[in-house]
Amino acid sequence: MNSFLRLLYRDLKASLWSTKSMIAVQLVTPLFYIFVAGFGYASVIPTMSVGNREVSYVLFLAPGVVVMQIMFAASMAGAMLWLDKRLAMFAQIVVGPFSRWQYILSKLVSIMLQGMLNAFLVFLIASPLLVGLSVSIEGVLYIAASLVLGSLFFGSLTLAISVFIKSNEAFNATLNVLFTPLMFLSSVYYPLEKAPIIIQAISLANPLTYAADMLRAGLLQVYVPLLPIEIAALIAESLFAFAIATAAFRRVKP
Amino acid sequence: MRYGSVVAVDHVSFSVRKGEVFGFLGPNGAGKTTTIKMLTTLLRPTSGKATVLGLDVVSEGGKIRPRIGVVQQDPSYEHALSVEGNLDLYGVLWNVPKVERKKRIELLLDKFGLKEARKTAPPELSIGQRRRLQVAREFMHDCEVMFLDEPTTGLDPQARRVTLDFVREKVRNGVTVFFTTHIMEEAEYICDRIAIINHGQILALDTIKNIKQKFGGVSVIHLRFAEDNSDVDRKLQGLLGVQKIVRSQQKDESLRVFAEDANAVLPRIIDVATTLGVHITELRIEEPSLDDVFIQMVNSKGRNRNE
Repeated sequence: MNSFLRLLYRDLKASLWSTKSMIAVQLVTPLFYIFVAGFGYASVIPTMSVGNREVSYVLFLAPGVVVMQIMFAASMAGAMLWLDKRLAMFAQIVVGPFSRWQYILSKLVSIMLQGMLNAFLVFLIASPLLVGLSVSIEGVLYIAASLVLGSLFFGSLTLAISVFIKSNEAFNATLNVLFTPLMFLSSVYYPLEKAPIIIQAISLANPLTYAADMLRAGLLQVYVPLLPIEIAALIAESLFAFAIATAAFRRVKP
Repeated sequence: MRYGSVVAVDHVSFSVRKGEVFGFLGPNGAGKTTTIKMLTTLLRPTSGKATVLGLDVVSEGGKIRPRIGVVQQDPSYEHALSVEGNLDLYGVLWNVPKVERKKRIELLLDKFGLKEARKTAPPELSIGQRRRLQVAREFMHDCEVMFLDEPTTGLDPQARRVTLDFVREKVRNGVTVFFTTHIMEEAEYICDRIAIINHGQILALDTIKNIKQKFGGVSVIHLRFAEDNSDVDRKLQGLLGVQKIVRSQQKDESLRVFAEDANAVLPRIIDVATTLGVHITELRIEEPSLDDVFIQMVNSKGRNRNE
């Protein structure tokens, strides 16, 4: 096994597997979003027009909830680095046969895998709603790209934040403050076409919007007019965030 | 090595021989851990050059790390895994084959007294057990040079002895050890050579015996004779290497001979006694302890620095 895969194995075994109860807890929230809020709002908004199609509100909401799960799962990357620093495992790993680059990449890939597992579980839970939908090869690519790029962006973001913030409490508070506007100023809960122009403008700069729109394109064949630009923007922003995280990571003192 | 305006390690120069245990002794804050962090590629020296296994610590860190083992001063462990899980995962990280991992885990659990705690997670262990796990973990993989930064902190005397003996065993198999401590008896037990460091500078570097001789002042030879012979004092006083002689006030035919090198003077004393026909009934050498030497050096150099 090469060094990177060994680090990845460690992340999955020592960090993520140990938080398996946490993963179960994280699934409760999407259940409520989809089956309680989704059906609740559906009584007043039965269908909505998005891009080129009419879809039910519950179906519209489900991909949004999945990308939100990706964002929350990605915050684990920062938390894992935080824990490694606190328990001095970071210093122990980087005096071993590994590079810092491999360390950071293992964190991102492990949270990507966790995000995908979470997304799969949400899809599984929401499967009664998805009956009758057919996903093309192109659709699978949209879904995969949405999950991978979303994980890369938010994982890199939380890694970079964890480098600069000195206490665990401040780290959690920062993520809460950051994630709330990201969730509501995006296309997670509502389509942007009919939103006020200022909300549209802000939401169109939000990577969560791009990931949600890509996932809807893959799953529901719903294509918003700016989708090609959103895909390009998410790729560029994810790579930029990764570069920032890598640069910030050099500052970490073992 | 600088941290802002503070010079933590200042023009330190030394080399460690293959297959020896090199002790790096100093009080807290002397620069021991900073030196280890530089040698293990965790910190980049702000000036100067350091090599490990002939490789530069700055430009060739990636080649050094797979060949060394490091027990750091700070406690470290995987909090969610058991003792056994910690050892196994560390073996995986070092690419130790599964069969070999199993063998080593059993050996280390036994050697370090962790068998009973094999299924326990580190947060539930005592401080000493956690430290034993941390030291044992480093023996899961092979290495050419091992850096041990105060590895026995928090260990009881028995566990300390077991740890040091295990390190010795590894040295016999060809491992070179760089060992920091501020416990002198530990250094005397395990180190072939030592360097004493304070305020980032090396104050002395040699074998313990030579350091004691150079910096420890005089040894005292306690002698007791079977019969009184006043010539003994005069003859001994004139011997090469003897500084002074003090006869006991208790009229028990005993005296103390002060000499810088007791081992060199001893045969001459026996010659004198044989020539004069007096019988030695008791002979004891009291050498300066490493503790005395260490405290004296650290204090005097500290004073000089403050002057």
